[in-house]
Amino acid sequence: MRIPILKLHNYLLISIQIDLDDQTAIQFQEDLLNKIHQSGATGVVIDLTSVDIIDSFIAKVLGDVVTMSDLMGAKVVLTGIQPAVAVTLIDLGIHLNEVTTALDLEQGLIKLRQELEE
Amino acid sequence: MAKNLKEILVDNSNDLVHMWLEEVAEKQKEVTNSAISQDLFENTNREFVNIIFGSVEKESLTSDLDSFTERVINLGWPLSYLTDGLQLFKRVAIEFLIEHEELDVSVPKVLRHVDELVNPIINQLVNEYSGSWENTVSLQRVALQELSAPLIPVMDNITVMPLIGTIDTERAKFIMENLLDGVIKHHAEVVLIDITGVPVVDTMVAHHIIQAAEAVRLIGSTCILVGIRPEIAQTIVNLGIDLSKFPTKSSLRKGFTTALEMTNQMIVQTNSEEQTIEELIDSLDRSEQS
Repeated sequence: MRIPILKLHNYLLISIQIDLDDQTAIQFQEDLLNKIHQSGATGVVIDLTSVDIIDSFIAKVLGDVVTMSDLMGAKVVLTGIQPAVAVTLIDLGIHLNEVTTALDLEQGLIKLRQELEE
Repeated sequence: MAKNLKEILVDNSNDLVHMWLEEVAEKQKEVTNSAISQDLFENTNREFVNIIFGSVEKESLTSDLDSFTERVINLGWPLSYLTDGLQLFKRVAIEFLIEHEELDVSVPKVLRHVDELVNPIINQLVNEYSGSWENTVSLQRVALQELSAPLIPVMDNITVMPLIGTIDTERAKFIMENLLDGVIKHHAEVVLIDITGVPVVDTMVAHHIIQAAEAVRLIGSTCILVGIRPEIAQTIVNLGIDLSKFPTKSSLRKGFTTALEMTNQMIVQTNSEEQTIEELIDSLDRSEQS
């Protein structure tokens, strides 16, 4: 199962609509980094609205993806994290401190543009 | 034989009532309650003793007892008034029976019999009372729950959660849930948590607030902690709590200004005083010209 990555101008849009398993997450990480390399995108929005469960491994992969993309010059925003997911992450002690977040895709794009303009 | 004892009690009810009333009056002198008028007290006493006798006579609990207890509860009289009264009744009855000349029953049996007559009444009363207390407590818990985590959408994208009173773990959990759901529901970009009304901020409360703020950040909103009083600032620093991860402000007003800045909004005063004065002068000029 591969997660589709859409390109929109300079941005990459990813909407995750399944519960990620470890394999898919790793695959997604590789796909995204390759895509950034190919397209030279400067911003990435990962939308998690439909994700109900995030375990510690997936959280780590997401955190890593953000750091890696940053290294490759693409700013990442996570959007639409569900309250239950947020509470679980905090309880697990995963704070994702370096990650920019936004309420939804729209806000995410606005934040991305703001950060890239600065 | 048991019949006899009861009959003796019922037959001599007048004497017993008299003795009991005297004892109660004596008792009342010790614990004088100024809020209760003498008349009311005597009337209630009389009614009470009649009900006791009613119950003793039938050897079962009457509905009179229920209604009487309900009334006393509504009046707000203490439970001790009723239990003391019944204890006194027991004592009076036992003394009376033991001193009764026609009696050929041993003392322990008398004690036991009187106990059997009076104890059901005591149990009933205590049950009624504790029932009413439990009822009150559960009602208050519901009321408290409703008040515990209100979320007010003040403007587009800005929401305020004023917290009042001590925060325990249960309430903190409730606050967190309400906060996150509210942020999603109102689509709030900035949430202000106002802790002006929280008397004590210890490590646990701070921990809960930090967790809530982090969770808010994860779902893509920003949390500003406002209403930090001087003493709370002192406690927080002395306890070594790190609140530097999210913005804090001393008052809701300052926090709100920051929130406006963060959401690229501002409040503009229409029709300022200067303008009004200018308009006034203009109109004067015009009237002079004409």
